[in-house]
Amino acid sequence: MKLRNSPRPFIPLFALICRLTLAIIFFYAGVEKIIHPQEFAVAIHNYQLLPDCVINLLAIFLPWLEVLIAASLVSGIYRRGASLLSAFLFLIFATALTINLVRGLDISCGCFGASSGNINWFYLARDLSLFCMSVFVLIYDRGWRYFFA
Amino acid sequence: MTSNNILSKFYPAFREGSIILAVALFIAVVFNLIRPSGINMFGFSSAALIKEQQAIIPEISLWEAYSLYLKNKVIFIDARDPLSFEDGHINGAINIYPDEASFHASSLKVKADQGFIFITYCDGPQCPLSKETAHELILRGIPTVKILVNGWGIWLKAGYPISKGKK
Repeated sequence: MKLRNSPRPFIPLFALICRLTLAIIFFYAGVEKIIHPQEFAVAIHNYQLLPDCVINLLAIFLPWLEVLIAASLVSGIYRRGASLLSAFLFLIFATALTINLVRGLDISCGCFGASSGNINWFYLARDLSLFCMSVFVLIYDRGWRYFFA
Repeated sequence: MTSNNILSKFYPAFREGSIILAVALFIAVVFNLIRPSGINMFGFSSAALIKEQQAIIPEISLWEAYSLYLKNKVIFIDARDPLSFEDGHINGAINIYPDEASFHASSLKVKADQGFIFITYCDGPQCPLSKETAHELILRGIPTVKILVNGWGIWLKAGYPISKGKK
């Protein structure tokens, strides 16, 4: 591994660390939800934001999207698309959390499947941090080739 | 930088993101169709969920519970914390705290198909844990769940078989 002669050589390295961190988070979150789709459907329902007809479809689709994003971020294949989707998802999660925190609902986060705690402001801060990491990866990540070419 | 420049810079990301979305949707639908525990893609019903959540869980008397125990037709579910469970529990019971119901749902469904009845219990007449675990199990499609109110206390007092440790 080498750091190229760049004016800011640590930025790509930091972007790589962010990319791998996001991948681990997405993989763990996705697998938990794939194992228990019915529980995740109930968690989505509890947010009271979507009609019944799309809840199960989302409970089936979203976990696989998270796992594929994780795979893309680790492998570097389609990493820009994965980081864009990652940023988009965290923005959506943060919006849903904010709406229900303001409403005062005491519901399970559903962030990591059945074992998640109830929503709180810390979760919102965490989502926004992960959103910032995703944007950072989208802008500054150079892929594995930067280090190994 | 003009808006056209920004769009052209992020165009590959949009294209790649669209491909990931399409592949994820395809895998998700196919996987759900072939897995035995797949769910109906458009079949979520909040009305049915609310009905299930409001369902009254039947209680069972100590004598009925003990009769079923002797006939080996019952699985006792200890809803207390693991430390209390290790200190002592109804012989043959399994420890399922309300939050852990989802992890046991699939194995309990198999037992339910074999004709077993599930009885949840905790300690004390006001203890909510047995009710909460029973609710969680019913929500996950486990039928024939009953509650033995103040189960641990009355079972112990009656001198019926108990065990200690993790099993």
